[in-house]
Amino acid sequence: MSPLSGNSVFLRSLTRTLATLPAYQAGAALADAPPAFTEVGVRYSHYSEDDIDASSVIFGATSRYDIDITQLWIEAPVGANWSVALDVQNDYQTGASPWFVGTDQDGQPGVIMSGASIQDNRVEVGVTTRYFWADGNAGLNLSHSDEDDYEALSIGFDASWNTAANTRTWTTSVSNSSDKVNPTQGVIPVFVMDEELDTQSGYFGVSQILSRTTIVRVGLNYTYSDGYLSDPYKLNDRRPQSHERIALSTGYRHFLIDANASVQFDYRYYADSWGVDSHTVELGWAQHFERSTLTPFFRYYSQREADFYQVTADLSEPHFADDYRLSSYGAMTLGARWAINLGDWTFELEGERYWSDADWGLYDGDSAPALVDFWRGTVAIIWRFD
Amino acid sequence: MRYALRTAGILSVITFQISCMQMETVEAWDRGYLAEDTMQWEADARSAKLKGHVYTSKEASSGGASAAGGGCGCN
Repeated sequence: MSPLSGNSVFLRSLTRTLATLPAYQAGAALADAPPAFTEVGVRYSHYSEDDIDASSVIFGATSRYDIDITQLWIEAPVGANWSVALDVQNDYQTGASPWFVGTDQDGQPGVIMSGASIQDNRVEVGVTTRYFWADGNAGLNLSHSDEDDYEALSIGFDASWNTAANTRTWTTSVSNSSDKVNPTQGVIPVFVMDEELDTQSGYFGVSQILSRTTIVRVGLNYTYSDGYLSDPYKLNDRRPQSHERIALSTGYRHFLIDANASVQFDYRYYADSWGVDSHTVELGWAQHFERSTLTPFFRYYSQREADFYQVTADLSEPHFADDYRLSSYGAMTLGARWAINLGDWTFELEGERYWSDADWGLYDGDSAPALVDFWRGTVAIIWRFD
Repeated sequence: MRYALRTAGILSVITFQISCMQMETVEAWDRGYLAEDTMQWEADARSAKLKGHVYTSKEASSGGASAAGGGCGCN
């Protein structure tokens, strides 16, 4: 045990403050010094969708997806200017999803479900190495995701650098992902064999310190995908072969000294070449206690339907889809995150509840019969050591 | 291409505007509050990635304050 271990909380706070003096976190980038400690962590999450309303189902199961997600990682400094991180994630998914939307005897739209037979396991492995210098840092990430019916290989590069007396941090990142789609045959017939998808993405943004307690940021993300973009497990789903997306994101953080708390505000505007646009607002209040931080948050989301979306797909059109995720609707999320610091150990608990409803949206559109509600629970243990 | 041009236009305006801003200098020794975990854009990058991944899988929108990561067949 280190002779200074009794002061580790103090030392960690001091080190963290010193290490982040020149600049502040932006996206995945860290401040301009390697992490002072090696970090090992494990996080388990359970995601569960509510059963679909039986009155919306014409045929099939009413249960939907459950997913168990396990994340393992280690991140360590290497020498004076480098860090390296290894991330492994495993997702195990079971349940059913809407196959297509038909009409019942009364002419009302209803969902035909896939049957509760879907099982899938996804493993993602990522390695990130980062170099730090006096006024910035740059990282390179390689990641491979593999599941029964989908494989993705991606590479990403990001860089951050400081200007204006280190009160302004510019950030950029680019990435490329090459994906292969090989749908598996199950209870429902699948008419797709081998397909490919390529995606390139770029981001440019800036954060600015406004005062000793306030920081803001703004940035723009552009993404282009070319290839197979339909959902092979939906009967009536034929989407365009290309997809352009832009997202304008802003953020605001303000520390309230008297309350010993931070106010967090984030907003994103999204638009794409399929006719979808959306607004996302997230508000958080991070309350510090002696050894823990409790952050309740609220998120509101509203999207406009895609040009080719219809409640029941029109198969005579060049492109069509009845996927509820492309419909107009609004969604609200309530959640909280509790992080407890006990010396070299941190314990995290997080939960969120998501509700969606066509009437909550800002845009007109017919109500999809299969909108999803879900909850997620997460627990994590993190160990940091010299 | 329409969206690429729109992106480039917005980016140029943002970059120009911010480059011209003259802001109050906060000394390095006075940035303790800004260094708190809760003042970061993501209190935990891995937790934020997971959370974003769930939303992206269930909504038509994606993207934000970084380039997109690798794809997945998450339906």
